[in-house]
Amino acid sequence: MSSAPAPRISSPFAHAPETREHGRAREARAAGRPQRLEALRNDLLAAPYTLCTQKAELLTEYFRDHVPADPLVGALAPLHFALTRRGLARSLASGAPQPLWQLRASRALQALYARRLDAAAGEPAVLHHARALAHILERAPLRIYEHELVVGNPSSQRIGAPIHPDLGGILMLPELERLATRAVNPIASTEEQRRRLAEEIFPFWFPRSIQSRVAVLAPDAGLANALLRGDRFVLTQFAGISHVTPDYPAVLERGFEGILEQVETARRTASTREQAAFFDAAAIAARAAIAFGARWSEHCAQAATRQIVPQRAAELRRLAGVFAQVPARPARSFYEAVQSTLLTHVIVHQESFQHGVSFGRIDRYLQPHYERDLAEGRVTREEAIEILGSFLGKAAELLPLFNEMATEYFSGLSSASGITLGGIDEEGRDATNEVSLLVLEAYDHMRLRQPNLHARLHAGSAPGFVRLAHDVVKRGGGMPAFFSDEAVVPAIENLGIATRHARDYAIVGCVEWGVPRRSFPAAGACFLSLPAALVRALHGGATADAAPVSFDSMEALVAALRREIEALVAEAAAGNDAIERAHARWRPTPLLSLLVDGCIASGRDVTEGGARYDSTGMQGVGLADVADSLAAIERLVFDEKRTGVAALIAAADADFANDAALQRRLEERLPRYGCDAGPAEAWAKRVAQIYCDAVREHRNPRAGPYAPGFWTMTTHVGFGRRLGALPSGRRAGRPLSDGVSPSNGADHRGPTASLLAAAHAQGPLTGNGLCLNEKIEPWFVEGEAGTALLADLTRGYFRAGGMQVQYNIVDPAVLLDAKAHPERHRDLVVRISGYSAYFNDLTEEMKDDIITRTLHGGAGPIRPVDGRACG
Amino acid sequence: MTQDDGAIVFDVQRFSVHDGPGIRTIVFFKGCALACAWCQNPEAIRAAPEIYYDDERCLAGCARCIDRCRDGALGDRRPKRVDFARCTACGACVDDCPAGALRIVGRTWSARELLTEVLRDRPFYASSGGGITLSGGEPVLHAEFLTRWLPLVKREGLHVVLETCGAYPFALLEPLLEWVDLVFFDVKAADAERHRTLTGKTNDQITQTLALLLRRGAAVEVRMPVVPGRNDDAENVAQTAKMLGRMGVGRVTLLPYNHLWEAKLPRLGTQQRPLGIRPPPGGHYEELVRAFAGHGIAAST
Repeated sequence: MSSAPAPRISSPFAHAPETREHGRAREARAAGRPQRLEALRNDLLAAPYTLCTQKAELLTEYFRDHVPADPLVGALAPLHFALTRRGLARSLASGAPQPLWQLRASRALQALYARRLDAAAGEPAVLHHARALAHILERAPLRIYEHELVVGNPSSQRIGAPIHPDLGGILMLPELERLATRAVNPIASTEEQRRRLAEEIFPFWFPRSIQSRVAVLAPDAGLANALLRGDRFVLTQFAGISHVTPDYPAVLERGFEGILEQVETARRTASTREQAAFFDAAAIAARAAIAFGARWSEHCAQAATRQIVPQRAAELRRLAGVFAQVPARPARSFYEAVQSTLLTHVIVHQESFQHGVSFGRIDRYLQPHYERDLAEGRVTREEAIEILGSFLGKAAELLPLFNEMATEYFSGLSSASGITLGGIDEEGRDATNEVSLLVLEAYDHMRLRQPNLHARLHAGSAPGFVRLAHDVVKRGGGMPAFFSDEAVVPAIENLGIATRHARDYAIVGCVEWGVPRRSFPAAGACFLSLPAALVRALHGGATADAAPVSFDSMEALVAALRREIEALVAEAAAGNDAIERAHARWRPTPLLSLLVDGCIASGRDVTEGGARYDSTGMQGVGLADVADSLAAIERLVFDEKRTGVAALIAAADADFANDAALQRRLEERLPRYGCDAGPAEAWAKRVAQIYCDAVREHRNPRAGPYAPGFWTMTTHVGFGRRLGALPSGRRAGRPLSDGVSPSNGADHRGPTASLLAAAHAQGPLTGNGLCLNEKIEPWFVEGEAGTALLADLTRGYFRAGGMQVQYNIVDPAVLLDAKAHPERHRDLVVRISGYSAYFNDLTEEMKDDIITRTLHGGAGPIRPVDGRACG
Repeated sequence: MTQDDGAIVFDVQRFSVHDGPGIRTIVFFKGCALACAWCQNPEAIRAAPEIYYDDERCLAGCARCIDRCRDGALGDRRPKRVDFARCTACGACVDDCPAGALRIVGRTWSARELLTEVLRDRPFYASSGGGITLSGGEPVLHAEFLTRWLPLVKREGLHVVLETCGAYPFALLEPLLEWVDLVFFDVKAADAERHRTLTGKTNDQITQTLALLLRRGAAVEVRMPVVPGRNDDAENVAQTAKMLGRMGVGRVTLLPYNHLWEAKLPRLGTQQRPLGIRPPPGGHYEELVRAFAGHGIAAST
């Protein structure tokens, strides 16, 4: 495609060029990939998704054999389990509520189990869990895969989905048998795995798991039903909290031996029994990590003796040497630093759920090692890229395990391990360095769905980094996403975080900006449907089955909406508080606590508020849908007086069955968020403000703020399926808008307009991240000029106050082909909300959502014929 | 054509990247001095607002518009719902069309309103070195408006590109030049008669305008829309090259042809007819570049 000026043509009738070069460009890139990385990539793409029960087995074994139980619980719980099991299967299948008396009875029994088991256990939970982790790390099978330079298997499978019976794993029970054959994200397992889970592991954890114990602490016995309905809010932390950027640099600097010393020193000043127990547990965890490294050293040495290819044998011997040093002791080289980081990541995942455990600012902490090795001739640039490529491949080995319902809300199997590159340092200077570029280049070779790559930009970002980052993203895959330091740092400060630390932010998981190493942001905790609150407001605080009510002014409507949003936030926060308390009481994470600053100083587990900074993320979903709905009501009812509020809502409640013309008018003729500077944008800003204010009213059990965010994963699809039509013209069951993105098709004035619209809705109260999906046609950004253009778009949006943007640059024709012929596109990576996924891993609904998104409102001349209103 | 306090504009297109440096907003002015057979924007030729009807958008079973029409220009027939000869573009039907199938192309924008609109993408002009591009139609026919509006634009520091056909007296353009940073000047054919056949007018005035413009020392990029089979033969290339050479122009930008304008024709009351030109074979534009080079003109696409 030439970059020559196209004939001038007025947009309403504009077009896309006819030729496309997507496939060819892809092949050309592959040609430049180092052989080792090519082989690794192919192996990872070909590996089947498999259930991993290693942690489940070992954890259960330890608790069964070493933690004293209670005979009464042993007698009662199996019967209770058998009953619950049937009810759970029924409810999950039908979404039908469980009778409240049953939930109450169940809660009373669980409270009894908790009391009796706690008493029988004798010692605090934190000690048991530390010893259990040591038990796991002593026995977990170690695996070295062909070609890899960086080793450490996070699960027993090449691509593994670990199950956590101690957390929310039991929700998988009704679906275990069809896990391998389900239509979306099938996951292989053996009959023996399934049998042991169903007959031994789940029954054992039924009176002990977080899933069960939350009910004990939840103020509302009906919480389980609200979650089953899944129409108003989703709480994720049943499955684990995770979502944290551990202090991997501390391991590089001091090693677990150094950390252990800190713990032992602090132990001497312990003033309470709880603190002493925490320090003892932390010391056990640190020693377990040290021993795990030694196991790996021996394993590599043995593997080397069995290896017949001399070069590979040398590599394995070298690894044995690396593990003789790390992670026990400080890293002395770039290679040791990368390996130590990865092994620590593996260790964390023997304790925590695989979601959102992030690497932080890897370019910053690897840089000194790289520079030193380079200067001393210990590593070349090419070797560093191979090491990093191998490292990135490791991050793609973990899958989260979701049941079918959760898959609707979190489609794409993202384990959301974030890597953050670039940005300013604590003093405000550009921290971008050579390793920032190396990671981008390594990613460019690998192009797997994980890890999540994030680029921080600011006015003084190194131009070469900005260019390369945009060059990488424009070739598809949606990574890296871009974050504006100028806008994000104030939002973090707003949570009460010191400027120095706010400047050091890194992305936790998808888009959540958090302070690495020092905070426990619990960033993925809650997702709330804002349109569900609107629907209640429009029906006098009841569901859509009730008659719509009338309002005599927009202000009256907004007041009702505010009340509903506040009620929704309060309900979700109360439920989440119970989950967090359950974690603190029964599922502490002493190993993770070693890696979050503040825990050793305070002698408290990270789940108990030991971190220097604490918060909990609460996401508002469907912002654009609410904004569009309010703009429509304002225009049709109050400005044009075409209809009344109640009549409009009644038409929507009937899914516009009797009023196709009204539905079309709503979609075509009314102002919608995404056109920039119209009434819908003003509403979006106002609703965002109302939501943020409501969220900031609450504090979590760790004494930190609830932090509002606007990102969705695929909850916009799950919530949308369970919501009737809206006054915006959106039909019943259709997906809501994602993140702060406009509704599909509403951004028909091109990317500058939708970017500015989104910038307008954002603000420093957004403490937990937001996500703007921008769709660009690949031909539009071809060549160097195209890269520059894309960077100009990002920088322009950031100038206007934008906080985050991610680009989906993919040819709709490729997506359509991938839907029809998945086998041809197993490496097609697309951007979802805040993370990337293989297109093939998405639900059919989500595939359609992405295709629709890409067809409508792609950037540039492909705007649809434009008869629609903007202002 | 020009109102006391406004101009008729039929589109303001943001995020345009092929009409001057950087990210730009294009203002499409209505009304043109020529009527090129291949005009990309047939809705731009007439100065006055006009009706536009997109049958594909029309909602089945909906006939609200028919009763609204005071001119008897709308009927319960599809796809030719509009009798363009009878329509006075009063716009009475547009408001009641839920689907946006009926609309009026072109409305009067005040100077203030148009300024606000083109300032929206300012963060992107700043990041990309972009600005605004005046297009149409023929923007220079709105000279009176532009002499009032462009100073406001320049006061905001925006970069201004003018796309023009030159078919007007130079005196109309001259006063605008102090606010225009770059002129895209289109030439279509060098032979006067051929020019008349293709555009409805000879090119005498155009060449004169171009010569005077160049003499003024304005920054000018000469562009030639390539219309396969109409103006890309060896004869016209030679004549055009010679004409440009005489004026001291050494470069020309070739604008590749595209036929998508033809889809607009049934939606408008226009005399323009489809040309049925298919995209030229690969290498065609490279050949033209070589042909121009043979005459001492550096052409590029």
